[in-house]
Amino acid sequence: MDSATGGSLDLSEVWLACPRCRADCRDRDLRSGEFLLCSRCGSEVKSSKGGRTSILAAWAFSTTALLLMLLANSQPILKFDVAGNSQENLIATGVEALWDFGYGPLAALVGFSAIAAPALYLLSAWYVSAACILRLRWPWRRFFFRMAMNLESWNLMPVFAVACVVSVVKLRTLGSVTWEPGAVWVALLAVFTLLTIQSFDRRHVMVDLEENP
Amino acid sequence: MSNQIRFELSRALVLTGFILYIPANFLPVMTITITGAVEPLTVMGGVWELYDTGLAPVALVVFLASIVVPLLKLSIMAWILSLHGSAALRQRRMALHGFLMRIGTWAMIDIFLLSVLTAVGQLGILASVVPETGALFYAAMLLSTVFATDVYKPWLIWQERGFQTT
Repeated sequence: MDSATGGSLDLSEVWLACPRCRADCRDRDLRSGEFLLCSRCGSEVKSSKGGRTSILAAWAFSTTALLLMLLANSQPILKFDVAGNSQENLIATGVEALWDFGYGPLAALVGFSAIAAPALYLLSAWYVSAACILRLRWPWRRFFFRMAMNLESWNLMPVFAVACVVSVVKLRTLGSVTWEPGAVWVALLAVFTLLTIQSFDRRHVMVDLEENP
Repeated sequence: MSNQIRFELSRALVLTGFILYIPANFLPVMTITITGAVEPLTVMGGVWELYDTGLAPVALVVFLASIVVPLLKLSIMAWILSLHGSAALRQRRMALHGFLMRIGTWAMIDIFLLSVLTAVGQLGILASVVPETGALFYAAMLLSTVFATDVYKPWLIWQERGFQTT
Protein backbone atom coordinates (compact mmCIF):
# COMPACT_ATOMS: atom_id res chain seq x y z
CA MET A 1 0.00 0.00 0.00
CA ASP A 2 1.42 3.32 -0.94
CA SER A 3 -0.09 6.45 0.50
CA ALA A 4 2.01 9.27 -0.81
CA THR A 5 -0.16 11.26 -3.16
CA GLY A 6 -2.09 14.41 -2.39
CA GLY A 7 -3.79 15.89 0.64
CA SER A 8 -7.29 14.91 -0.39
CA LEU A 9 -6.33 11.27 -0.57
CA ASP A 10 -4.90 11.43 2.97
CA LEU A 11 -8.19 12.76 4.25
CA SER A 12 -10.17 9.95 2.64
CA GLU A 13 -7.94 7.50 4.43
CA VAL A 14 -9.13 8.76 7.80
CA TRP A 15 -12.78 9.46 7.03
CA LEU A 16 -15.19 7.32 5.08
CA ALA A 17 -18.56 8.59 3.90
CA CYS A 18 -21.45 6.31 4.78
CA PRO A 19 -22.84 5.03 1.47
CA ARG A 20 -26.45 5.53 2.60
CA CYS A 21 -26.65 8.64 4.77
CA ARG A 22 -23.33 10.29 3.83
CA ALA A 23 -22.26 10.82 7.44
CA ASP A 24 -18.49 10.93 7.96
CA CYS A 25 -17.29 7.82 9.74
CA ARG A 26 -13.84 7.30 11.12
CA ASP A 27 -11.94 4.66 9.15
CA ARG A 28 -9.86 1.98 10.82
CA ASP A 29 -8.29 -1.35 9.93
CA LEU A 30 -10.53 -4.32 10.47
CA ARG A 31 -9.70 -7.78 11.69
CA SER A 32 -11.40 -10.69 9.97
CA GLY A 33 -15.09 -10.94 10.76
CA GLU A 34 -15.37 -7.28 11.76
CA PHE A 35 -17.63 -4.61 10.28
CA LEU A 36 -17.56 -0.87 10.44
CA LEU A 37 -21.08 0.46 10.97
CA CYS A 38 -22.23 4.01 10.44
CA SER A 39 -22.75 5.59 13.85
CA ARG A 40 -25.67 7.63 12.58
CA CYS A 41 -27.81 5.28 10.49
CA GLY A 42 -26.32 1.86 11.23
CA SER A 43 -25.51 0.92 7.62
CA GLU A 44 -22.39 -1.08 6.89
CA VAL A 45 -19.60 1.31 5.89
CA LYS A 46 -16.79 -1.19 5.56
CA SER A 47 -16.43 -4.92 6.01
CA SER A 48 -13.56 -7.33 6.32
CA LYS A 49 -15.45 -9.69 4.04
CA GLY A 50 -15.47 -9.26 0.28
CA GLY A 51 -12.44 -7.76 -1.40
CA ARG A 52 -10.46 -9.62 -4.04
CA THR A 53 -11.99 -13.07 -3.53
CA SER A 54 -15.41 -11.60 -3.93
CA ILE A 55 -14.45 -9.75 -7.13
CA LEU A 56 -12.98 -12.98 -8.47
CA ALA A 57 -16.35 -14.64 -7.78
CA ALA A 58 -18.15 -11.74 -9.49
CA TRP A 59 -15.93 -12.24 -12.54
CA ALA A 60 -16.75 -15.95 -12.68
CA PHE A 61 -20.48 -15.41 -12.09
CA SER A 62 -20.73 -12.66 -14.70
CA THR A 63 -18.88 -14.80 -17.27
CA THR A 64 -21.37 -17.62 -16.66
CA ALA A 65 -24.30 -15.21 -16.74
CA LEU A 66 -23.16 -13.70 -20.06
CA LEU A 67 -23.02 -17.15 -21.66
CA LEU A 68 -26.46 -17.95 -20.22
CA MET A 69 -27.69 -14.63 -21.59
CA LEU A 70 -26.76 -15.74 -25.13
CA LEU A 71 -28.57 -19.06 -24.64
CA ALA A 72 -31.63 -17.49 -22.98
CA ASN A 73 -32.06 -15.04 -25.83
CA SER A 74 -31.47 -17.43 -28.70
CA GLN A 75 -33.66 -20.34 -27.62
CA PRO A 76 -37.45 -20.34 -27.26
CA ILE A 77 -38.84 -20.17 -23.72
CA LEU A 78 -42.20 -21.73 -24.33
CA LYS A 79 -44.32 -23.29 -27.01
CA PHE A 80 -48.02 -22.67 -27.32
CA ASP A 81 -50.48 -24.93 -29.12
CA VAL A 82 -54.05 -24.25 -30.13
CA ALA A 83 -55.87 -26.72 -32.35
CA GLY A 84 -52.80 -27.83 -34.24
CA ASN A 85 -51.26 -24.37 -34.66
CA SER A 86 -48.17 -23.95 -32.61
CA GLN A 87 -45.86 -21.07 -31.89
CA GLU A 88 -42.57 -20.82 -30.07
CA ASN A 89 -41.46 -17.64 -28.45
CA LEU A 90 -38.28 -15.92 -27.41
CA ILE A 91 -37.81 -12.97 -25.04
CA ALA A 92 -37.52 -10.74 -28.10
CA THR A 93 -40.79 -12.04 -29.61
CA GLY A 94 -42.67 -10.23 -26.85
CA VAL A 95 -40.92 -6.96 -27.66
CA GLU A 96 -41.71 -7.42 -31.34
CA ALA A 97 -45.39 -8.23 -30.67
CA LEU A 98 -45.86 -5.12 -28.51
CA TRP A 99 -44.19 -3.03 -31.22
CA ASP A 100 -46.45 -4.50 -33.92
CA PHE A 101 -49.56 -3.58 -31.95
CA GLY A 102 -48.42 0.03 -31.85
CA TYR A 103 -47.29 0.00 -28.23
CA GLY A 104 -43.80 1.37 -28.88
CA PRO A 105 -43.18 2.68 -25.33
CA LEU A 106 -44.05 -0.71 -23.84
CA ALA A 107 -41.86 -2.50 -26.38
CA ALA A 108 -38.99 -0.19 -25.45
CA LEU A 109 -39.57 -0.73 -21.73
CA VAL A 110 -39.58 -4.52 -22.05
CA GLY A 111 -36.63 -4.51 -24.46
CA PHE A 112 -34.66 -2.31 -22.10
CA SER A 113 -35.44 -4.10 -18.85
CA ALA A 114 -35.45 -7.70 -20.08
CA ILE A 115 -32.63 -7.59 -22.63
CA ALA A 116 -30.57 -4.40 -22.80
CA ALA A 117 -30.19 -3.55 -19.08
CA PRO A 118 -29.21 -7.07 -17.92
CA ALA A 119 -26.77 -7.43 -20.83
CA LEU A 120 -25.15 -4.04 -20.21
CA TYR A 121 -25.00 -4.64 -16.48
CA LEU A 122 -23.30 -8.01 -16.90
CA LEU A 123 -20.88 -6.69 -19.52
CA SER A 124 -19.89 -3.75 -17.31
CA ALA A 125 -19.52 -5.92 -14.20
CA TRP A 126 -17.48 -8.43 -16.21
CA TYR A 127 -15.21 -5.74 -17.64
CA VAL A 128 -14.57 -4.00 -14.34
CA SER A 129 -14.00 -7.19 -12.32
CA ALA A 130 -11.76 -8.71 -15.00
CA ALA A 131 -9.60 -5.57 -15.05
CA CYS A 132 -9.48 -5.56 -11.26
CA ILE A 133 -8.44 -9.23 -10.97
CA LEU A 134 -5.91 -9.16 -13.81
CA ARG A 135 -4.59 -5.81 -12.56
CA LEU A 136 -4.99 -4.33 -16.00
CA ARG A 137 -5.57 -0.65 -16.59
CA TRP A 138 -8.21 -1.05 -19.23
CA PRO A 139 -9.73 2.22 -20.44
CA TRP A 140 -13.22 3.43 -19.46
CA ARG A 141 -13.29 1.39 -16.24
CA ARG A 142 -14.82 4.26 -14.26
CA PHE A 143 -17.51 4.70 -16.88
CA PHE A 144 -18.39 0.99 -16.85
CA PHE A 145 -18.31 0.90 -13.06
CA ARG A 146 -20.80 3.76 -12.89
CA MET A 147 -22.96 2.08 -15.52
CA ALA A 148 -23.00 -1.17 -13.52
CA MET A 149 -24.04 0.74 -10.38
CA ASN A 150 -26.84 2.58 -12.20
CA LEU A 151 -28.19 -0.51 -13.90
CA GLU A 152 -28.05 -2.75 -10.85
CA SER A 153 -31.64 -2.08 -9.84
CA TRP A 154 -32.79 -2.56 -13.44
CA ASN A 155 -31.73 -6.14 -13.44
CA LEU A 156 -35.12 -7.67 -13.85
CA MET A 157 -34.32 -11.25 -14.85
CA PRO A 158 -35.83 -12.75 -11.64
CA VAL A 159 -39.03 -10.77 -12.24
CA PHE A 160 -39.05 -11.92 -15.85
CA ALA A 161 -38.62 -15.56 -14.78
CA VAL A 162 -41.63 -15.32 -12.43
CA ALA A 163 -43.64 -13.59 -15.16
CA CYS A 164 -42.92 -16.57 -17.44
CA VAL A 165 -44.29 -18.98 -14.83
CA VAL A 166 -47.43 -16.89 -14.42
CA SER A 167 -47.93 -16.63 -18.18
CA VAL A 168 -47.72 -20.42 -18.53
CA VAL A 169 -50.40 -20.77 -15.87
CA LYS A 170 -52.54 -18.27 -17.74
CA LEU A 171 -51.99 -19.82 -21.16
CA ARG A 172 -53.11 -23.22 -19.87
CA THR A 173 -56.66 -21.87 -20.02
CA LEU A 174 -56.25 -21.00 -23.70
CA GLY A 175 -54.44 -24.01 -25.09
CA SER A 176 -51.59 -26.33 -24.35
CA VAL A 177 -48.27 -24.89 -23.27
CA THR A 178 -44.92 -26.61 -23.01
CA TRP A 179 -41.71 -25.31 -21.52
CA GLU A 180 -38.78 -25.12 -23.92
CA PRO A 181 -35.05 -25.24 -23.04
CA GLY A 182 -34.88 -21.42 -23.05
CA ALA A 183 -36.87 -21.41 -19.80
CA VAL A 184 -34.07 -23.23 -17.99
CA TRP A 185 -31.54 -20.68 -19.27
CA VAL A 186 -33.76 -17.79 -18.14
CA ALA A 187 -34.05 -19.30 -14.65
CA LEU A 188 -30.30 -19.92 -14.41
CA LEU A 189 -29.59 -16.45 -15.76
CA ALA A 190 -31.78 -14.97 -13.01
CA VAL A 191 -29.79 -16.90 -10.39
CA PHE A 192 -26.38 -15.99 -11.80
CA THR A 193 -27.20 -12.29 -12.17
CA LEU A 194 -28.27 -12.25 -8.51
CA LEU A 195 -24.99 -13.95 -7.58
CA THR A 196 -23.05 -11.39 -9.62
CA ILE A 197 -24.80 -8.49 -7.89
CA GLN A 198 -24.24 -10.16 -4.52
CA SER A 199 -20.49 -10.65 -4.99
CA PHE A 200 -19.64 -7.47 -6.90
CA ASP A 201 -17.95 -5.61 -4.03
CA ARG A 202 -18.18 -1.94 -5.00
CA ARG A 203 -15.96 -0.74 -2.18
CA HIS A 204 -13.09 -2.93 -3.31
CA VAL A 205 -13.50 -1.82 -6.93
CA MET A 206 -13.60 1.82 -5.88
CA VAL A 207 -10.38 1.41 -3.88
CA ASP A 208 -8.80 -0.36 -6.85
CA LEU A 209 -9.82 2.46 -9.20
CA GLU A 210 -8.26 4.98 -6.82
CA GLU A 211 -5.01 3.09 -6.57
CA ASN A 212 -4.61 2.24 -10.27
CA PRO A 213 -6.09 5.12 -12.18
CA MET B 1 -28.96 17.63 -9.19
CA SER B 2 -29.43 19.77 -6.10
CA ASN B 3 -31.06 18.31 -2.99
CA GLN B 4 -34.04 20.62 -3.24
CA ILE B 5 -34.68 19.59 -6.85
CA ARG B 6 -34.42 15.91 -5.88
CA PHE B 7 -37.03 16.46 -3.17
CA GLU B 8 -39.40 18.38 -5.42
CA LEU B 9 -39.00 15.97 -8.33
CA SER B 10 -39.72 13.02 -6.09
CA ARG B 11 -42.82 14.74 -4.70
CA ALA B 12 -44.06 15.49 -8.23
CA LEU B 13 -43.47 11.88 -9.28
CA VAL B 14 -45.37 10.50 -6.28
CA LEU B 15 -48.31 12.74 -7.14
CA THR B 16 -48.15 11.66 -10.79
CA GLY B 17 -48.03 8.05 -9.64
CA PHE B 18 -51.18 8.43 -7.52
CA ILE B 19 -53.05 10.04 -10.42
CA LEU B 20 -51.92 7.38 -12.93
CA TYR B 21 -52.75 4.59 -10.49
CA ILE B 22 -56.46 5.15 -11.15
CA PRO B 23 -56.56 4.68 -14.96
CA ALA B 24 -53.86 1.99 -14.65
CA ASN B 25 -56.18 -0.09 -12.51
CA PHE B 26 -59.57 0.70 -14.00
CA LEU B 27 -58.80 0.55 -17.72
CA PRO B 28 -58.25 -2.89 -19.26
CA VAL B 29 -54.60 -3.77 -19.87
CA MET B 30 -55.32 -6.49 -22.39
CA THR B 31 -58.07 -8.20 -24.33
CA ILE B 32 -58.04 -11.96 -24.48
CA THR B 33 -60.05 -13.66 -27.21
CA ILE B 34 -60.64 -17.40 -27.01
CA THR B 35 -62.70 -18.97 -29.77
CA GLY B 36 -64.75 -15.86 -30.37
CA ALA B 37 -65.31 -14.87 -26.74
CA VAL B 38 -63.79 -11.42 -26.26
CA GLU B 39 -62.73 -10.59 -22.74
CA PRO B 40 -61.14 -7.29 -21.69
CA LEU B 41 -59.06 -7.69 -18.53
CA THR B 42 -57.93 -5.13 -15.98
CA VAL B 43 -54.96 -5.89 -13.73
CA MET B 44 -57.30 -6.98 -10.96
CA GLY B 45 -59.37 -8.97 -13.47
CA GLY B 46 -56.24 -10.91 -14.37
CA VAL B 47 -55.69 -11.72 -10.70
CA TRP B 48 -59.30 -12.96 -10.30
CA GLU B 49 -58.93 -15.10 -13.40
CA LEU B 50 -55.83 -16.75 -11.98
CA TYR B 51 -57.64 -17.30 -8.71
CA ASP B 52 -60.57 -18.93 -10.50
CA THR B 53 -58.21 -21.28 -12.33
CA GLY B 54 -57.52 -22.70 -8.90
CA LEU B 55 -54.03 -21.28 -8.52
CA ALA B 56 -54.39 -19.13 -5.46
CA PRO B 57 -50.61 -18.85 -4.73
CA VAL B 58 -49.86 -17.57 -8.24
CA ALA B 59 -52.80 -15.18 -8.02
CA LEU B 60 -51.44 -13.93 -4.69
CA VAL B 61 -47.97 -13.28 -6.15
CA VAL B 62 -49.43 -11.27 -9.02
CA PHE B 63 -51.80 -9.42 -6.68
CA LEU B 64 -48.97 -8.44 -4.35
CA ALA B 65 -46.53 -7.50 -7.10
CA SER B 66 -48.87 -5.58 -9.36
CA ILE B 67 -51.45 -3.99 -7.08
CA VAL B 68 -50.10 -3.88 -3.53
CA VAL B 69 -46.45 -3.01 -4.30
CA PRO B 70 -47.15 0.16 -6.34
CA LEU B 71 -49.72 1.47 -3.82
CA LEU B 72 -47.41 0.67 -0.91
CA LYS B 73 -44.52 2.42 -2.64
CA LEU B 74 -46.56 5.54 -3.35
CA SER B 75 -48.00 5.72 0.18
CA ILE B 76 -44.72 5.11 1.97
CA MET B 77 -42.89 7.56 -0.31
CA ALA B 78 -45.57 10.19 0.36
CA TRP B 79 -45.08 9.65 4.10
CA ILE B 80 -41.27 9.86 3.83
CA LEU B 81 -41.51 13.05 1.79
CA SER B 82 -44.00 14.61 4.20
CA LEU B 83 -41.35 14.34 6.94
CA HIS B 84 -38.57 15.79 4.75
CA GLY B 85 -36.46 18.20 6.80
CA SER B 86 -37.81 17.09 10.18
CA ALA B 87 -35.86 15.03 12.68
CA ALA B 88 -38.67 12.60 13.46
CA LEU B 89 -38.42 8.86 12.83
CA ARG B 90 -35.29 9.05 10.70
CA GLN B 91 -34.26 5.46 11.37
CA ARG B 92 -37.69 4.19 10.38
CA ARG B 93 -37.65 6.30 7.21
CA MET B 94 -34.20 4.92 6.28
CA ALA B 95 -35.40 1.34 6.80
CA LEU B 96 -38.55 1.87 4.75
CA HIS B 97 -36.64 3.57 1.95
CA GLY B 98 -34.30 0.57 1.77
CA PHE B 99 -37.30 -1.73 1.69
CA LEU B 100 -38.87 0.26 -1.17
CA MET B 101 -35.65 0.06 -3.19
CA ARG B 102 -35.68 -3.71 -2.81
CA ILE B 103 -39.30 -4.35 -3.78
CA GLY B 104 -39.11 -1.54 -6.34
CA THR B 105 -39.28 -3.20 -9.70
CA TRP B 106 -41.47 -6.23 -8.95
CA ALA B 107 -44.46 -4.44 -10.43
CA MET B 108 -42.78 -4.95 -13.83
CA ILE B 109 -44.17 -8.48 -13.63
CA ASP B 110 -47.38 -7.29 -15.26
CA ILE B 111 -45.62 -5.68 -18.19
CA PHE B 112 -43.53 -8.81 -18.76
CA LEU B 113 -46.62 -10.96 -18.48
CA LEU B 114 -48.29 -8.82 -21.12
CA SER B 115 -45.29 -9.14 -23.43
CA VAL B 116 -45.15 -12.94 -23.13
CA LEU B 117 -48.91 -13.27 -23.58
CA THR B 118 -49.11 -10.99 -26.64
CA ALA B 119 -46.17 -12.81 -28.19
CA VAL B 120 -47.79 -16.20 -27.78
CA GLY B 121 -51.42 -15.37 -28.36
CA GLN B 122 -51.13 -14.71 -32.06
CA LEU B 123 -52.71 -17.81 -33.50
CA GLY B 124 -55.33 -16.26 -35.70
CA ILE B 125 -58.95 -16.24 -34.59
CA LEU B 126 -58.61 -19.16 -32.20
CA ALA B 127 -56.80 -17.31 -29.47
CA SER B 128 -55.35 -13.84 -29.37
CA VAL B 129 -54.08 -11.44 -26.75
CA VAL B 130 -54.05 -7.75 -27.56
CA PRO B 131 -52.58 -5.01 -25.34
CA GLU B 132 -54.90 -2.14 -24.36
CA THR B 133 -54.42 1.50 -23.33
CA GLY B 134 -54.48 0.65 -19.62
CA ALA B 135 -51.07 -0.96 -20.07
CA LEU B 136 -49.54 2.39 -21.06
CA PHE B 137 -50.97 4.05 -17.94
CA TYR B 138 -49.74 1.12 -15.89
CA ALA B 139 -46.21 1.39 -17.29
CA ALA B 140 -46.15 5.16 -16.74
CA MET B 141 -47.38 4.72 -13.15
CA LEU B 142 -44.74 2.09 -12.52
CA LEU B 143 -41.91 4.26 -13.86
CA SER B 144 -43.10 7.18 -11.70
CA THR B 145 -42.91 5.04 -8.57
CA VAL B 146 -39.47 3.67 -9.50
CA PHE B 147 -37.97 7.09 -10.22
CA ALA B 148 -39.68 8.74 -7.22
CA THR B 149 -37.87 6.33 -4.90
CA ASP B 150 -34.63 6.49 -6.85
CA VAL B 151 -34.35 10.25 -7.08
CA TYR B 152 -34.90 10.81 -3.34
CA LYS B 153 -31.58 9.55 -1.98
CA PRO B 154 -31.53 8.21 1.58
CA TRP B 155 -29.09 10.88 2.77
CA LEU B 156 -31.76 13.53 2.13
CA ILE B 157 -33.60 12.07 5.13
CA TRP B 158 -30.79 13.46 7.31
CA GLN B 159 -30.87 16.90 5.81
CA GLU B 160 -31.70 19.63 8.32
CA ARG B 161 -34.44 22.10 7.54
CA GLY B 162 -31.99 25.00 7.86
CA PHE B 163 -30.04 23.78 4.85
CA GLN B 164 -33.04 23.91 2.59
CA THR B 165 -33.27 26.70 0.11
CA THR B 166 -36.74 27.65 -0.94
